[in-house]
Amino acid sequence: MYCEGDSWGCYLPMSLRSMGSDPMERVVKLASESAVVIFSVSSCCMCHAAKRLFCGMGVNPTVYELDQDPRGKEMEMALTTLLGNSQTVPIVFIGGKLIGAMDRVMASHINGSLVPLLKEAGALWL
Amino acid sequence: MANHHIPYALLHGMNVPTSFINQEGSAFDFGELEEAIVLQGAKANLLTGRTAATLEMFPSWPMRYQQTPGSSKSGGESTDSGSALNTISSKTENQFEPDFPISKKASSSYHQAFDQQNLQLQQQQQQEMASDPSRTGTSLNQSAPIVKPLQEKKRASTSEKQLDAKTLRRLAQNKEAAKKSRLRKKAYVQQLESSRIKLTQLEQELQRARSQGLLLGSSGGGVGNISSGAVICDMEYARWLEDDERHMSELRTGLHSNLSDTDLRLMVNTYLSHYDEIFRLKGMAAKFDVFHLLTGMWTSPAERCFLWMGGFRPSELIKILISQLDPLTEQQLMGICSLQHSSQQAEEALSQGLEQLQQSLIDTVAGGPAIDGMQQMAIALSKLANLEGFVRQADNLRQQTLHQLPRILTVRQAARCFLVIGEYYGRLRALSSLWASRPRGRLMSDEQPCQTTTELQMVQPSQSHFSHF
Repeated sequence: MYCEGDSWGCYLPMSLRSMGSDPMERVVKLASESAVVIFSVSSCCMCHAAKRLFCGMGVNPTVYELDQDPRGKEMEMALTTLLGNSQTVPIVFIGGKLIGAMDRVMASHINGSLVPLLKEAGALWL
Repeated sequence: MANHHIPYALLHGMNVPTSFINQEGSAFDFGELEEAIVLQGAKANLLTGRTAATLEMFPSWPMRYQQTPGSSKSGGESTDSGSALNTISSKTENQFEPDFPISKKASSSYHQAFDQQNLQLQQQQQQEMASDPSRTGTSLNQSAPIVKPLQEKKRASTSEKQLDAKTLRRLAQNKEAAKKSRLRKKAYVQQLESSRIKLTQLEQELQRARSQGLLLGSSGGGVGNISSGAVICDMEYARWLEDDERHMSELRTGLHSNLSDTDLRLMVNTYLSHYDEIFRLKGMAAKFDVFHLLTGMWTSPAERCFLWMGGFRPSELIKILISQLDPLTEQQLMGICSLQHSSQQAEEALSQGLEQLQQSLIDTVAGGPAIDGMQQMAIALSKLANLEGFVRQADNLRQQTLHQLPRILTVRQAARCFLVIGEYYGRLRALSSLWASRPRGRLMSDEQPCQTTTELQMVQPSQSHFSHF
């Protein structure tokens, strides 16, 4: 399954999801709802690279564009606290588990741990 | 040009020729200053006032000044205030500290080279000094003219002295140290001056050579446009290359002399740290001059030809290795191929991300009727800032790939890999030198019509260029 053009598989309108009061709770909840979750900013090119990486592997990630959500700012801050100040979008969760920002994702792909994680989460077959 | 701060790294020659770090530190007549303070009591305000008036600020670099922890400490005092100063210095160091840990060497040269007087820091220090008169030597960097007028003022109104022998002795020591500092500073300044002259001469030669058509094309828009960040980067890289030579010959000897696997593994790990060093360096360089990295101006022309995102393409490197690494077991072959595949996917993703950035930038710069020029530039600038992220991720990819090699190969094979890599790039560098210095006969001869389109550059051949020859 390869992504075509701009359709990333699954853009879920966040307003329709149940509202957690705490942004961190919301992040965690959203992260656990799909096999592969990317918190992104629509204008961010590195986020584009992350999306491309997963699509190139045949994975359909669920993407949440934080700049397009009214509560996105809070969530972004919650994510920053989670990861430490230097980390920024894109931030990837696989199987509900935090993988990290782009450099962690790359590192885990190179050291061979990404694909097993994806398979385990059911995002990748074969 | 009294306060013209030339990077120490460029013109360092004081003690250790190959080091870019100014080990000695102070070029400031601290002894006399302290004497004045002790004799007069605290009048730090006057000093800082003068400081503010006479020091120049170079606004471009956000660097903090890195202190070398206490040079001359006399007696047994000043331990706590010493640590206070060190806390300040380590704090400022941490303020600058980017995400990756920086090697001491590379960061020192960047710190010292771009020492733009941190006014606050110095004021703090002076408060500290004023409140604790037993403090001694630190490496402040102020110009001497500040001290002299202050001194004269203080000396004139010297009143009753309640100095004991201990203080007197310490003052004498400080005076000695200050004298030494002055002499060092004088030597350094003289060196600076002569280097400046040499630099101007070189530039003129280069201009002349260019106008005579000996150089076709230009190096990144002209000699004068090389940023100091780029210069530092190149110098640190040259030093890294020398280290690389050393490591490689160690590896070679290790392999040939049938070292035990444990010893060999140690060597391999050392070599990996050596590579980590270059990535840290590039990380620093990316902050100061990302274009220098992206355009490949930091490396040789032949390497530049095959540049991907500011460096080598990991999957290409692995391809080279596969061909040179027979025999491989089934498992190892699978491991290497999978590494190559993952690398290709990651490279592809990054390339597409960068492409999107480029497109976005093009759209901004091309502009439109409704966009105001200043705003356009501001937007473009903020987009450009993302370039650093891409170079960083690319370097991260390279680093991870190199680290993965000894995990999937035996230690001997890993050692051979690193040798192959080092030799390969050594040959590319040698190729660049040879190409640049090859005899050309008539420049615009009929038999070589493509000469004019070639981008040439005068490459200074260093030792490492010919080492593999």
